[in-house]
Amino acid sequence: MSTTTQTAAPGRGSGSAGSSTPVWRVVAEREVTTRVRDKTFLAATGVSLLLVVGFFVVMLLLGGGADEYDVAVTSDADETVLATAQEVMRESGSPDAELNAEVVDDADAAEQLVRDGDVDVALLPADGGYTLVGDDEIDAGLAAGLSSAVASQALQDNAEEQGVDLAALSEGTEVQQRLLDPNADEADARSGVAFAFALVFLLTAMGFGMTIAQSVAQEKESRVVEILAAAVPVRALLWGKVVGNTVLAMGQILLITVVGVLGLVATGRTDFLSGISGAVVAYVVFFLLGFVALAALWSVAGALASRQEDLSSTTLPGQMLLFLPYFIGAFGSDDVRTVVSMLPIVSTMLMPGRMAEGDVPWWQIGVAVAVTVAAMVLFIRIGARMYERTLLRTGGKIGWGEALKASD
Amino acid sequence: MLQVNHLTRRYGDATALDDVSFEVRPGRMTGFVGANGAGKTTTMRIIVGVLAPTSGTVTWGGEELTTEQRRRFGYMPEERGLYPKMRLRDQLTFFGRLHGMTATQAHARATDLLTRLGLGERIDDVLETLSLGNQQRVQVAAALVHHPTALILDEPFSGLDPLAVDTMVELLSSELSPDLPVLFSSHQLELVERLCDDLVILSGGRVVAAGPVEALRDQEAPRYRVVVAEGGVEQLRSAGLTLLSTNGSEAVVEGNGQPADQLLDAVRRAAPVSEFSRVVRPLSQIYRDVIA
Repeated sequence: MSTTTQTAAPGRGSGSAGSSTPVWRVVAEREVTTRVRDKTFLAATGVSLLLVVGFFVVMLLLGGGADEYDVAVTSDADETVLATAQEVMRESGSPDAELNAEVVDDADAAEQLVRDGDVDVALLPADGGYTLVGDDEIDAGLAAGLSSAVASQALQDNAEEQGVDLAALSEGTEVQQRLLDPNADEADARSGVAFAFALVFLLTAMGFGMTIAQSVAQEKESRVVEILAAAVPVRALLWGKVVGNTVLAMGQILLITVVGVLGLVATGRTDFLSGISGAVVAYVVFFLLGFVALAALWSVAGALASRQEDLSSTTLPGQMLLFLPYFIGAFGSDDVRTVVSMLPIVSTMLMPGRMAEGDVPWWQIGVAVAVTVAAMVLFIRIGARMYERTLLRTGGKIGWGEALKASD
Repeated sequence: MLQVNHLTRRYGDATALDDVSFEVRPGRMTGFVGANGAGKTTTMRIIVGVLAPTSGTVTWGGEELTTEQRRRFGYMPEERGLYPKMRLRDQLTFFGRLHGMTATQAHARATDLLTRLGLGERIDDVLETLSLGNQQRVQVAAALVHHPTALILDEPFSGLDPLAVDTMVELLSSELSPDLPVLFSSHQLELVERLCDDLVILSGGRVVAAGPVEALRDQEAPRYRVVVAEGGVEQLRSAGLTLLSTNGSEAVVEGNGQPADQLLDAVRRAAPVSEFSRVVRPLSQIYRDVIA
């Protein structure tokens, strides 16, 4: 029997009489339920989430605690020294510095706390002033802040005792600090976000793209496709696959985004978060557009294969479509990035990243959205036609060129 | 009624189907026989809509078949296929819903069918863990799950042992209704003979015979088998009867348009008769005759 077959009845998916669900939704539901029951899929999602959570835990351990110090003192009066020290530190380069006093009975108890790591340092009264006791090291900023606070407190006390006008005495001694690039730290973080945007799209689109292609190829390989095609229009099958996998991919990306945002909140980076929130929203939108545009092509890649083994070659164009923009984004000059960030697929990887890194003119974002939507419509139309022509052809791999030229 | 009208399908220069027309009547089983490559599968694929004809139509109640009507058909393709890693009930529920049932209906029907097929215990098992015979049962169930309005079964019994065939036939008969046309192809002529009311014989992409099995049998003048006394065969011959074949004291006599009782009288006059019976041509004989 010859194997050149096409579908006879193209047309839209349809719901029959009664309350039955439209075909594309039944197909989409199967895609989703099969996937969420798949242990490999669950494990992979879990691992990505763990990575994100782990990233913030490390941030919290390394950076988050750096501006917060616990100091053991032996009298309530010393708490005012801490308050002054906190003031000093906030004015000199550690705007988020926070000192907590731990009042204990005596020096031994204070030293014990230091030894146990419960406090960062102990501030103990000594002859002629105070001793700062640390375990194996003392944070320089903290030491400077506390020393300065102790000194000014003592000066104040001494001045009062001697009847000296301290204000007049300290006239002209203040040294202020000013940074020329106060946001350098944040700029690094923003580039990090831009990089993460591109990488997460690359990995997710690739992962789910392969899933779509495999799911189509499996239906061809197991021959179940003939029953499917006899029951419903081939186009409805395609829609179901695209919708089902888009829902899954978006679900995964939203989950990662939510965990990431929660992580920023938990680590107290809310100011940073509000700075990139526009980019995050744009990312979700661009992700959706870029993913759907590619999904139809991944389905065709599946329909071109006769067996799972054919997928490595039929999915090559899809992989190129993802890797090229990724490398252009990583290594291209700023001008190149600006231009290509308005192209479909590339826009998903670069545009939200550019928005996170700095201001992007609105017209550029508009062009990127418009071009991506146009590409999405075009890809889906071409994809649907190729899918219809190739899905029921068995007996060997079909080339992309051949499938494009194939007639009904 | 399902009608196939002047279907032609060409692949390049090769003609797989050449002006094929026949009908599948409701409430009757129509057997579809023919050699490998005769065009049975091609015809069935065109009926269910996975293949487009080069020309010709398939009609349902006189009107050209719509996508929506096709959706209500049940189809068992020659190349079996289901989802290997899907649970039985989920699988049948899915197919039921694809064919337009609601989720609840499909779920209940899937449970019922699987139970009747003796797979009640394995309802939540994954298909690929079943034996091939059991997978085939599920395949039939997938064609039946949505209470189809027509059944197109391509070699439904191939690869089954006789007991499994019986189970399947039983299931099919229980699903038959006076409104349901069934078309099934098979190489197993004795099975077709046992089950079918109508017959379509295809050869080289053309219909060479079609109609009720009885009518096909009656196309030829009736023949009778007679057993006569020793040497009686010669006497039959000299009495002018047409003997189609002889074997000792046994002969097959052509009726030549005479009613059976008149023929019997003629035979009796020629020689003493111990047996006289109408020869029912087996299907395989009809098949060989029309293919020849």
